[in-house]
Amino acid sequence: MAEVEKKGVSDQEAKTVPPEHTKSSSSFFSVADVVLRFFLFVSSLVAVLVMITSKQTTTILVTVPPFTTPFPVVSTAKYRYSPAFIYFITALSVTGLYSIITTTMRFLALLKHKMPTTLLLLLIIMDVLVLGIVSAATGAAGAIGYLGLKGNSHTNWMKICYGFDKFCKHIGTSVSFSLFASVILVLLVLLNTYALSKKILK
Amino acid sequence: MEVENGGNKEVVVANKRSFRCSDLVLRFLALALTLVAAIVLGVNKETKNVSMEILPKLSPLTVPVTAKWHYLSAFVYLVVVDSIACAYAAISLVITLANRGNKKGLTLLIMISDLIMVGLLFSGGGAATAVGLIGYEGNTHLRWNKVCNIFDRYCHQVAASLFLSLLGATIFLVMVSLSTLNLAKKH
Repeated sequence: MAEVEKKGVSDQEAKTVPPEHTKSSSSFFSVADVVLRFFLFVSSLVAVLVMITSKQTTTILVTVPPFTTPFPVVSTAKYRYSPAFIYFITALSVTGLYSIITTTMRFLALLKHKMPTTLLLLLIIMDVLVLGIVSAATGAAGAIGYLGLKGNSHTNWMKICYGFDKFCKHIGTSVSFSLFASVILVLLVLLNTYALSKKILK
Repeated sequence: MEVENGGNKEVVVANKRSFRCSDLVLRFLALALTLVAAIVLGVNKETKNVSMEILPKLSPLTVPVTAKWHYLSAFVYLVVVDSIACAYAAISLVITLANRGNKKGLTLLIMISDLIMVGLLFSGGGAATAVGLIGYEGNTHLRWNKVCNIFDRYCHQVAASLFLSLLGATIFLVMVSLSTLNLAKKH
């Protein structure tokens, strides 16, 4: 009877040792996850703000063919003039909202030391979806920005960055921040997949 | 415990087999779609005769204008990304057939590359959509005229290639989700 009781106690000890061993390494994954999601929130917020404040009004000298002297035209460049930029703002706002929700979710899971597998799986799949959305936004705004920078001689599309330099700088900064956000999303998916494969769910 | 282990092993092997079938089919489909998208955009060329009036008294002059796919950098980017995705789908198809779920590191590497392909394909699709939209509608604020009223077959081919490429991107996304689900099912 005493031997059976001793065996039960040693079994219980053996059971309690592994979770403590994985706690420190599992909390590293949770902390890294929360930190990366916070960076995602910051970068998507900065990208949206920088693009919204990119309005610029300048006077451009326009030469209309019948007349020889160029006359000044006051023109404005706003982000609202191109549907690609409108999509960019929408996509990054969605990413910002998503990152707020998931940061708080992961932070609560970190405090409670409990993270169900289905929730982690859902987070990974949603991360991949949001990665698709953000990369599409990066590509679209980057393409329009590149067209504005270099113009296109074949289709007779004038480059606009010569006159609107502040506008183009804002667009460039915004696109690079959204590129950074998509890299963070890739790292997040990798981190969560690695944690899932190692059966670390906390 | 041994019986449970045996039962677990059978479940794992059955999962591996079904994972392989759907994964192979999806990879082959992605290979076909990105290949067709790259080819359709890569041979895109149209020549049209446009009549221009230079002087009001003379009769209008017909000038042949050409639209090629490499005149726009966004389309070049889309063709490059499609060919990269196609080559990657072929290589990963061979690797998945040879691997059969033996080495875990290789499966993880393929998942990482799948993720990168999702990002690249979606960005290429987004860029070509934005540029195609300018060509279709024009942009009065930036004084960029629309091109698709002259070159309609060119624009239709671009739209078809874009649709196929975005479909390929979605298939890569589904593949990443499936491999994640399999990872969760194994444990």
